[in-house]
Amino acid sequence: MFEQLVGKLPVGIGIVDENFKVVYLNDFFLDRLPYNMRDCYKETPVVELFQGQGKFLKRRLKSVFVLQHPSFSYWEQRPHIFPFKSSRPITGEETQMYQNMEILPIKDKNTGQKLACIFLQDVTAQASYFRAQQKLSEALKKEHEAQKKLIRKLDTAQSQLIQAEKMASTGQLAAGIAHEINNPIGFVNANLNTLEQYASHLIAICDGVQGQLEYFTDELKEQIDALFESNHYDLLKDDITELIGESTDGLTRVKDIVENLKNFSLETTEGVQIVDICAVCRQLITLISAQYSAPQYKFECEHEKVEVMGNPGPLKQALMNVMINAAQAIKDKGFIKLTVLNSPKSVTIKILDSGCGIPTKHLKRVFEPFFTTKPEGQGQGLGLSVAYTAIEQHHGKISISSKEAKGTVVEITIPKQPAAQAPSSEGDEENKENEAESLKFG
Amino acid sequence: MSIVLPLDEEQRDALQELLNISMGQAANSLAQLIETKIDISIPKISAVTPTQLYSLLFETEDAFYTRQSFLGDVHGEVMSVLSQAGLSEVATLMDYDEPLSKEDIQEIILELCNILAGACLAGLSDQLELATNLNMPTLFLPDKANFDELQWQHSLVMEVQFIIAISSFSMRVVFCLDDESLARMKDTLDELLA
Repeated sequence: MFEQLVGKLPVGIGIVDENFKVVYLNDFFLDRLPYNMRDCYKETPVVELFQGQGKFLKRRLKSVFVLQHPSFSYWEQRPHIFPFKSSRPITGEETQMYQNMEILPIKDKNTGQKLACIFLQDVTAQASYFRAQQKLSEALKKEHEAQKKLIRKLDTAQSQLIQAEKMASTGQLAAGIAHEINNPIGFVNANLNTLEQYASHLIAICDGVQGQLEYFTDELKEQIDALFESNHYDLLKDDITELIGESTDGLTRVKDIVENLKNFSLETTEGVQIVDICAVCRQLITLISAQYSAPQYKFECEHEKVEVMGNPGPLKQALMNVMINAAQAIKDKGFIKLTVLNSPKSVTIKILDSGCGIPTKHLKRVFEPFFTTKPEGQGQGLGLSVAYTAIEQHHGKISISSKEAKGTVVEITIPKQPAAQAPSSEGDEENKENEAESLKFG
Repeated sequence: MSIVLPLDEEQRDALQELLNISMGQAANSLAQLIETKIDISIPKISAVTPTQLYSLLFETEDAFYTRQSFLGDVHGEVMSVLSQAGLSEVATLMDYDEPLSKEDIQEIILELCNILAGACLAGLSDQLELATNLNMPTLFLPDKANFDELQWQHSLVMEVQFIIAISSFSMRVVFCLDDESLARMKDTLDELLA
């Protein structure tokens, strides 16, 4: 009865002797032997009967005989010890059987001969389930990674949007202020000019009087002298020209700022036309190298001409501002390299300098209006914000990366055909949408 | 360690001696199989809390961990910590071909643990005349948080270290017994001592 039971057990049971020759196999093994071998399997070495992992099986059997201690093997590390097909050759996903094996040392009760009993378990179902789970978890992990990336992208897009918003509101404010200040500056300037003339007239009169002094009577001479003296005429004469000169200078500065603010808000009149970026770049190099001679200037472009549709004024202004920054970053020696890359739909301009670079903590703020690290009175902190607004108006993208003491790269990408800038509200809507698109995917 | 051992002095000495013998047998088994000399440390016996067990075992750097449970007259678990260093030399001794795949390494680790833990347990239960059966070993990735939440308070641990002389490989085997088994073992030790 036990013989039958062991024979029919749903696990493989095989017994081998110390020479690894088969003593017994149950039905589990027999069913999987080639038909012609089912009667003559006894006394055959087990590794000949089941070829494949012979070396491994021998090693394990040896260990069991030597140590008299069970040995285990799992499908995860060694899935197919015996070359058996999956028990579901028609419908199963796996073609080979996954196996767990256990070898136990046993002894023949009658002869005392040392034997080893091999238990083989078919774990194909578990293995295939496990592997499916693993695939699933890998897929999940991938998806998770993708989501993380997306979230990061969204984060950047959001901060870009915030930046854009800031710029827009500051731009409006700046336009308003510029307009308001322009009027008083106008009359102050006119008055100041007149005042200068009047002052020179007054001085001429006084000087005339002083020149004619000797022809006056002594009494009158004394009185006039006293008058000059009491009003500190000499000091007044020197100071008045100086004061007016300084005021005019100050006013010019105010006018410059207002001009820049107006540029910042980009109230341009020229309108969209064809702009040759290469020509603009060459022009700028000539212009800037005259003023900043320390750096070496290089220009690189595969084409003679690269044209975009755009507003020449703001575009030039933007490039100019970036270039000036680059030039100012170089104190003694260095280079500035302009590269224009042409692609079917857009143009990329790279401005690279080997200058002092921008500290990381400042990098975030460089496009902010009025952000500057220059001493007071030497910079208005509007250069890059003007450039930003100009490029944004062209639905382009400007980005900056920098390493302190190594240099800075500013990359500007402008689409060749800007979206229609129709004045109607519908058009504006479209523009805004396009802007958002370019921010996200730019 | 501040916790009072659940064993008295005599029981402890006896157990240590028994362990020493069985560990020696285990080392011998492995030495036979891989034909090289193996050194063993003096067995340590102590009582630990789950958190202490964690730091005793799993705060080793560059190590593999396995666990294996045993049933029978006494119940418990054997945990092993294997050094990553020197494993390839041992693999060569165990007749594995270079280069080792991830699966090969896992298989070697499991087999080493099985041999050593099995031999130790067999030796110990032989001498105490207790019948035990060792289940298959599995790789173990312990998590400290889980250890802090374990239900038991104290456990008796028996620890021994195997060092393979010709390589930098070393391995620690730690036996833990549950309360019931501990009581049974104490009785058996008393019988032996009587």
